[in-house]
Amino acid sequence: MAKKREVDISVDFAGRRLANPVFTASGTCGYGDELADFMDVNRLGGFITKSITLQPRKGNPAPRIVETDAGMLNAIGLANVGLERFVAEKLPVIARMSVPVFVNVAGERIDDYVAVVERLASEKAIAGFELNISCPNVAKGGISFGRDPEQVKEITSAVRKAAGDRILSVKLAPAVTDISVIARAAVEAGANALSLINTFTAMVIDIETRRPVLANRTGGLSGPAVKPIAVYLVNKVYNEVAKKAGIPILGLGGIRTASDAIEFLIAGASAVAVGTASFIQPDSAVRIIDGIEAYCVRHNVARLADLVGSLA
Amino acid sequence: MVNNKSKGVFTATVTSNRRIRECFWTIDLEFTGAGAAAFAEFQPGQFVQVDVSHLGLPAEDLIAPDLRDASRRNILLRRPFSFADVTAGPDRTTAELLYCVLGPASVRLTTLSRGDSLSFLGPLGNGFSVPPGKRLALLVVGGMGAPPIRCLAKLLKAEYPGTNVIAFIGAKTAQALPFEGQFEEMPERVDSFVPALARLGIPSAVATDDGSAGYRGFVTERLAQWLDEQRNWSAEGTVIYACGPEPMLAATAKLAAQRNIDCQVSMERRMACGIGVCQSCAVECRVEGSNETVYKLCCQDGPVFDSRTVVFDPPIQVVEEVGLARAIKEGLASPTVDEARILEALEHGEEERS
Ligand SMILES: Cc1cc2nc3c(=O)[nH]c(=O)nc-3n(C[C@H](O)[C@H](O)[C@H](O)COP(=O)(O)OP(=O)(O)OC[C@H]3O[C@@H](n4cnc5c(N)ncnc54)[C@H](O)[C@@H]3O)c2cc1C
Ligand SMILES: Cc1cc2nc3c(=O)[nH]c(=O)nc-3n(C[C@H](O)[C@H](O)[C@H](O)COP(=O)(O)O)c2cc1C
Ligand code: FES
Repeated sequence: MAKKREVDISVDFAGRRLANPVFTASGTCGYGDELADFMDVNRLGGFITKSITLQPRKGNPAPRIVETDAGMLNAIGLANVGLERFVAEKLPVIARMSVPVFVNVAGERIDDYVAVVERLASEKAIAGFELNISCPNVAKGGISFGRDPEQVKEITSAVRKAAGDRILSVKLAPAVTDISVIARAAVEAGANALSLINTFTAMVIDIETRRPVLANRTGGLSGPAVKPIAVYLVNKVYNEVAKKAGIPILGLGGIRTASDAIEFLIAGASAVAVGTASFIQPDSAVRIIDGIEAYCVRHNVARLADLVGSLA
Repeated sequence: MVNNKSKGVFTATVTSNRRIRECFWTIDLEFTGAGAAAFAEFQPGQFVQVDVSHLGLPAEDLIAPDLRDASRRNILLRRPFSFADVTAGPDRTTAELLYCVLGPASVRLTTLSRGDSLSFLGPLGNGFSVPPGKRLALLVVGGMGAPPIRCLAKLLKAEYPGTNVIAFIGAKTAQALPFEGQFEEMPERVDSFVPALARLGIPSAVATDDGSAGYRGFVTERLAQWLDEQRNWSAEGTVIYACGPEPMLAATAKLAAQRNIDCQVSMERRMACGIGVCQSCAVECRVEGSNETVYKLCCQDGPVFDSRTVVFDPPIQVVEEVGLARAIKEGLASPTVDEARILEALEHGEEERS
């Protein structure tokens, strides 16, 4: 009987060794163990929380989502419990998880981001931060930071100082003139990873009422529809910024299967995150881990790192 | 309210799928193994998320003309459905999914036949609860709100034999009643009219917007009329359970509040995950002892809520002031499943009334 070949699907992510390259995406898997009924969360390569803001946020009125062909729009409006309740209620849960946890941070002003990161940077349970400067669904802050390289620099370096020795990934908006300019600004200001992509601002109209379906009028497009664009943007940033700088990319946008994830790895992502797909199949992320391993066995990839950026 | 911990993704086998009338269909399902055990614990008012993304469309001539455009959309997300009936056996649990064909997912459900399998995420959310000391349970149904109420009716009869149960059922027309039976020309009185409920010994009164069956007008008007007629009736001993379009729930909640009756409403929201992680299913709720409101999650904190806590959309005052048809037309009311139908019925009704 043939012996099962050993493959190493662990990855180095900004100096941290991860058991595998698969994360859950912010806003799609709660704050910690919410999906524990459906999968062993500790099998993940990494876990990213819903965006946390300094103050609690109620979020937008309903309808907050609408399905589109091969995707969905969401306009949740960063509804979250706020820093204080996150520390009191969610942090203890995170402390019991063995997977590296990254806290996604959002805000209206730079000081808000800094305050959240300062409070959490000394927590042993937290491996790092993901800076959300790309949320399309809030009136202030959010995406407006992520479009201007000067502001990206300013916010990244302020948060970098507050983050101490923790990993800091900056999550980029896809709909900008040149994403490499923004990526470079983040890297120069001290980001040690880049997450791309966040959602695309989009709209669905009810033609009977001639009104937008979402109460917020617009929402962020996610799901399989965005995947080819996300793969392209990951490859572009890998070639133009990340490879030279030695900065890992966390690739996401429309990943449903291991094959989708492998496309991102070949394009240049060191790790991937699963978002919308978890709504349909809550254990998508662990299925993808198994699928990546099987692919490596099938294609004689001894170390996953050999796959990263291997696009011909 | 009851929360079930043993939720998961389970496959069920379709044992039948048939049309009741107009846009209403019903699927019988069978769960075995772990699914049978999980759904044996299903509480009326809980729901499931069904995956229909693998199903194709029926032939075009089998799709209602007004749904042909809409049904072209590919399915990504699961869809929330209640069960109208659940029967637990020793090694299998059967369930009935009663559905209205109104969009791409429900159109695809019509293609299922015996032996097909379907993936369900569930049981989800909190079902109805039965407070102690209730001698009278009033069930209020609007259109497609029938499934969870039917499921509850069975539980009440089986486990609360001392409670008197009466159903009030509203729809646009006799044809739009999501029950099997012959309803045209049905009288207004409370009687054993609806076979699915009559079998359980539950009498019902029907209200239709056009008067084609039962009382002509809203089901809440019929309920108010009935309550006014009762002697020796105690508000404390009564509980109202309601499921239907949001304006109907708002009207029911108002009636319950005015008369000090406990009332539980089953709410609907567009859902992505159904398990509390995406925050898409916000229901605005009052915070006790303050003017503030918070958004609760329909899938996790509901779908059944105490009617006093919910801030309905549209606020009932708006509906009363401007009329439902205008409230919807002017965007004061946001879409509900039956919106187009209510609107149509109301426009029709309002013209006739004025
Ligand atoms: C907890 C819960 C239980 C439900 N139980 C049942 C049931 O037992 N039987 C049944 O027939 N239906 C039920 N529904 C409604 C059902 O989920 C929708 O009818 C279904 O998702 C429609 O999918 P579709 O793709 O066919 O149409 P879509 O194109 O998705 O929807 C058609 C129309 O319905 C509206 N709509 C869709 N979903 C919702 C929603 N969740 N809330 C308000 N409006 C919506 C849309 O705006 C559109 O106008 C339930 C919904 C919830 C939230
Ligand atoms: C319902 C929903 C909520 C989201 N919330 C957040 C959030 O709070 N912070 C954030 O940075 N991204 C958020 N996102 C974006 C995702 O993390 C991800 O970048 C995007 O959805 C693309 O990946 P996907 O196609 O796999 O979902 C959210 C996405 C969805 C669908
Ligand atoms: S549907 Fe996702 S939180 Fe309710």
